Amino acid sequence: MNVAQQLVNGLVIGSGFACVALGWTILLGAARLVNFAHGQMYMLAAFICWFALTRWGLDFTAAAVVAVLAMGVLGILMQSAMSQLVVSQNLTSLMIVTLGFGYMIQGAAGLGFGGSPHALASPADKVQYQIGGIWFTGQDLIIVTVTLALYAGVWLLLNRTRQGAMVRAIAEDPKLAQIFGINTWLVYVAVFMLEAVLVAIAAVLVAPKTPILTSMGFEEVIMTFVVVVLGGVGNVGGALVAGLALGIFTAFFGALVSPAYTTAASFAVLLAFLTLRPEGFSFR
Amino acid sequence: MNVLDAADLTVRYGGSVALRDATLAVGAGRLVAVAGANGAGKSTLVNACAGWSRGHASIAGDVRLDGRSVARLAAYRRARLGIQCVPEGKNVFGELTVEENFALVPAVPREAGRHVFSREDVLGLFPRLHERRTHKGSALSGGERQMLAIGRALLAGPRILLLDEPSVGLAPRLIFDVLTVVRRLVDDGLAVLLVEQNVSAALDVADELYLIERGRIVGHGDAAAMRQDERIAQAYLGGLAEVEP
Amino acid sequence: MTEHSMALDAPAARRSPRHPAIRALAVAAAVALAYWLPSWLGGSPLTYGFFVTLAIFSVMAVGVDIVLSYLGEVSLGHTIFWAIGGYSAAILSTSWDANGWITAATAVGLAVLAAAFLGWATLKTREFVFSLATYAAAVVAGEIAFNTDALGGSDGIVGIPALRLPLGFAEFSGRSNQELWPLALLLLVLSIYFVDRFRRSRLGTEALMVQMNPPLAIASGLDIRKVRFRVFVVSAPITALAGWLYGYQRAYVGPDMFDMYFLTLMLTAVIVVGRRVLLGPLIGVALILLQQNYFSIGGDGNKVVLGAVLAFVLIVWPQGLAGLARRIWRARAQPRS
Ligand SMILES: Nc1ncnc2c1ncn2[C@@H]1O[C@H](COP(=O)(O)OP(=O)(O)OP(=O)(O)O)[C@@H](O)[C@H]1O
Ligand SMILES: [Mg+2]
Repeated sequence: MNVAQQLVNGLVIGSGFACVALGWTILLGAARLVNFAHGQMYMLAAFICWFALTRWGLDFTAAAVVAVLAMGVLGILMQSAMSQLVVSQNLTSLMIVTLGFGYMIQGAAGLGFGGSPHALASPADKVQYQIGGIWFTGQDLIIVTVTLALYAGVWLLLNRTRQGAMVRAIAEDPKLAQIFGINTWLVYVAVFMLEAVLVAIAAVLVAPKTPILTSMGFEEVIMTFVVVVLGGVGNVGGALVAGLALGIFTAFFGALVSPAYTTAASFAVLLAFLTLRPEGFSFR
Repeated sequence: MNVLDAADLTVRYGGSVALRDATLAVGAGRLVAVAGANGAGKSTLVNACAGWSRGHASIAGDVRLDGRSVARLAAYRRARLGIQCVPEGKNVFGELTVEENFALVPAVPREAGRHVFSREDVLGLFPRLHERRTHKGSALSGGERQMLAIGRALLAGPRILLLDEPSVGLAPRLIFDVLTVVRRLVDDGLAVLLVEQNVSAALDVADELYLIERGRIVGHGDAAAMRQDERIAQAYLGGLAEVEP
Repeated sequence: MTEHSMALDAPAARRSPRHPAIRALAVAAAVALAYWLPSWLGGSPLTYGFFVTLAIFSVMAVGVDIVLSYLGEVSLGHTIFWAIGGYSAAILSTSWDANGWITAATAVGLAVLAAAFLGWATLKTREFVFSLATYAAAVVAGEIAFNTDALGGSDGIVGIPALRLPLGFAEFSGRSNQELWPLALLLLVLSIYFVDRFRRSRLGTEALMVQMNPPLAIASGLDIRKVRFRVFVVSAPITALAGWLYGYQRAYVGPDMFDMYFLTLMLTAVIVVGRRVLLGPLIGVALILLQQNYFSIGGDGNKVVLGAVLAFVLIVWPQGLAGLARRIWRARAQPRS
C-alpha cells in the first residue's frame, strides 16, 4: 500500500464528506432542523446537473450553476412549506416531514430521470496529475480547494457579518430575535436555501467520481451525520476537521480491510463516540 | 396624540385568560408605570403591546403606535416601527458579544417621532458596556446585561420603550442609576412604559401608574394621586410606611 | 415534543365506559367479521394477498407506533427488526429446515438483542440524534446484508418453504395467502391487544409521562433512560414477527427489506390517522395499501404520494385524521363558544 497515495485519497474523500456536510451543519446549528432529505437533495442536484449537461448540451460549469440555482429554489419551497413547524420548533414533526420530502424527491427523480445509472462526466475528472508518484485528478484538486474555500467563506459569514450574527442569534433564542427586529422566518428560509445550495455544490463536485442513481443519497446522509456529530453540532471548524479525518480513516479502512464496509465502519466509530462520551451528546 | 394606545387587550394562554380588556395610553415624554402582584399580568400586558410572548399566547385587542394600528403586525415588524421592548428574564444573546448584540439592530429609518441614539450616546449612558464590548453576553453580570438590553433598545430608535422590571436583581444603588437614566430619557421626550416590582421606586420616577390585579387593570392615575390610593398604600407602601418612622 | 394539548387525549380519559363483557363481545364480532371479509369480497388469491399484506404491514407499523406514540421518539431503525424477522425465517428454514416456532423464536430473540444493543448505544441521545442513529443503523445494516454472502448478498434468499407450525395434535401450514390469513389476522389481533395492554401498563403510563413532562417524570423518581430503553426493546419483536411472516408470504427475503419504503410506510401509517389511536396503524396501512393497489400511479408515483401524504399531514393536520375528526366533532357539539 502506498501510504502517501492513500493519505491524498483520504483528503479528497474527506473534503467531499466535509463539503456535503457543510449545509447540514449550519442548518442544524441555526434552525435545529434535521434534514433527512439531504441525501436526496444531493442526488437531485447531481441529476439536474447531468440533465442540463447531456440533454441541454450545456458545458459542465453552466450545468452546475443550473443545478445550484434549481436547488436554491427547491430549498426555499421546502422551507416555506415547513415554516410553521420550524418557527414553532416542532422538531419531531420536522424530522418526519423532511423524511417525507426525501421520499418524494426520490420518487419524482425516478419519474423524471428513470432508474438506470448514469455517469456525470466532469471534464476536470479527465485531467490527471502525478507528483512524486502520487496520482490525483483535476476534479480532486477542485474538490479540496472549493471545500476549503466554502468553509472559510461560511466561517466568515457566520462570525464576521451581521447576517451571521442573526443566524447565531436565532440558533440561540428565536423568540428573543423577534424582539430584536429580526424576521426569523426569512432567516430560516435563507439558511435552508444555503443548505440546498451548498449540498448542490457538493453534488456537482463529488458526484462525478461515481455513477449516479436516483436511489443514492443514503450513504451521504450517514457520512454527514457522522461528520456533524464528531465535529460538534453547528461547529463549522469541527465539521471540516471531522470530515477530513473521516476521509482518511475511510481511505485506509477501504485499502486495508474492505471497501464494501466503509460506511459500516464509520458508523461504528460514531456509535463508539456516542457511547464513550462521558455525558453523551448534548445539543448545546 | 399618544405614542402608544392599547385598547381592550385580552391575552389567553391556551384556555386561561392572563389579561382581560386592558386599556392604556402612554404619551410622549411620559413615564408610565405598571404595578401589581406577581402573576398579575404585568409582563403579559407589556409583551402584548409588543405583539410578543415567550409562550403560545393569543392576543386580541388593538394597539396603536402614533395613531396607527399595529395590532396585525408581527413582533419583529413592531420592533422595527419603534416599539422597543426589553422583556424580563433573558433579554440579550449570551452567545454573541456585546458588539454583536448591538450589531443586530437594523438601521433606523429617518422618521419623525423616533428617538435616535448613536452608539456613542448609548455607551455614554452605560460606560461599563464600553469596557466589556468584546465579552459574550453570557459573561456579563446581571446589571451589565440589563444595561446591554436597554442600550440595544435605544440603539434601535424607539418611539416607545417598554421596560419589564429592568431593576430586578440589581443592587439598590444600580436600580437608582437605571431609573435615573430612564427618567432622563423621558425628560428628553421619550415615551416609556415601565413594569416595576418596587412600587415606591416606580412612583418616585413615574408620571402615571396603572395598577393591575389578576389580569385586569383596577386603577390608574397620576403618580402623586396613586401614592395616596388606599390599595397601593396598603399593598405596596404600607409596610414601608410603618417601618420608616 | 411540545404538543401539550395531546396530554388531554391520554387514552385513559377516552376509554368508553361500556361493560367489559359487551366490549369483548364487540371485539369478537369484529374479529370474526374481519376473518370472513376476504372470502365475502370474492376470496380470490389477490384478495387474500391484500389482506395478509395489510395485516403484516399493520403489525410492522405497530412496533413503530409504540415508540412514536407513547414515547414520542422517532425510531427510524425498525426496518432492522423487520429484516431480522425476515432473515431469521429465510435462513433457518432454508438451511436447517427449521419449523415456524423455531424461526419465530429466533426472530424475537435476535430482535430483542438488536434493540437492546441499539437502545444501549443511543441511551444518552434524544430526539434527532436518536432518530439519526437509528436511521444510520438501518442504512448500515442494509449495506451489510447487501454485501455479506452468508446473508444472501444482493440477491437475498429465495425459495423459503411454506410456513409450518406443528401444534402437537395437528400442523398449521401456510402454503398460500388464503392459508396464511388466519395466522396473519391472529398476529394483528394479538399485537393490537398488546398495545391496548401496554398503554394501560405501568411502562406505558411511564413512557407517556416521560414524553409529556420529563421534569415531572424525573421528579417522581423515574429513570427516563430506562423507560425509553424498555419501550424501545418491547417494540422490536412486534415488527420482527411481522417481518417473519412477510418472509414466508413472499418466499423471498433480500436487502430490499431495508428499503425506505417500509420505513416511510410505518411512519405514515401512524401519522396519517394520528398518534395514540389504537387502530391507527391498521387504518393507516389500509388507506395506503388501497391507494397503492387500486389507485396506483406506478412505483415512483406512489413514492411521491406516500412522501407527500406524510409531509402534508404533519404540516396541515399534525394530529392526523383522528385529530381532524375530533375537531369537527367538537365544532359540531358546541357551535360557537
Ligand atoms: N408562557 C406562559 N404560558 C402559560 N401561562 C403563562 C405564560 N406566561 C405567563 N402566564 C400566566 O399569565 C399570568 C400573568 O403572568 P405575567 O408573567 O404577566 O405576570 P407578572 O405580573 O409579570 O408577574 P411577575 O411579577 O412575577 O413578573 C400568570 O398567571 C402566568 O401563570
Ligand atoms: Mg413579569
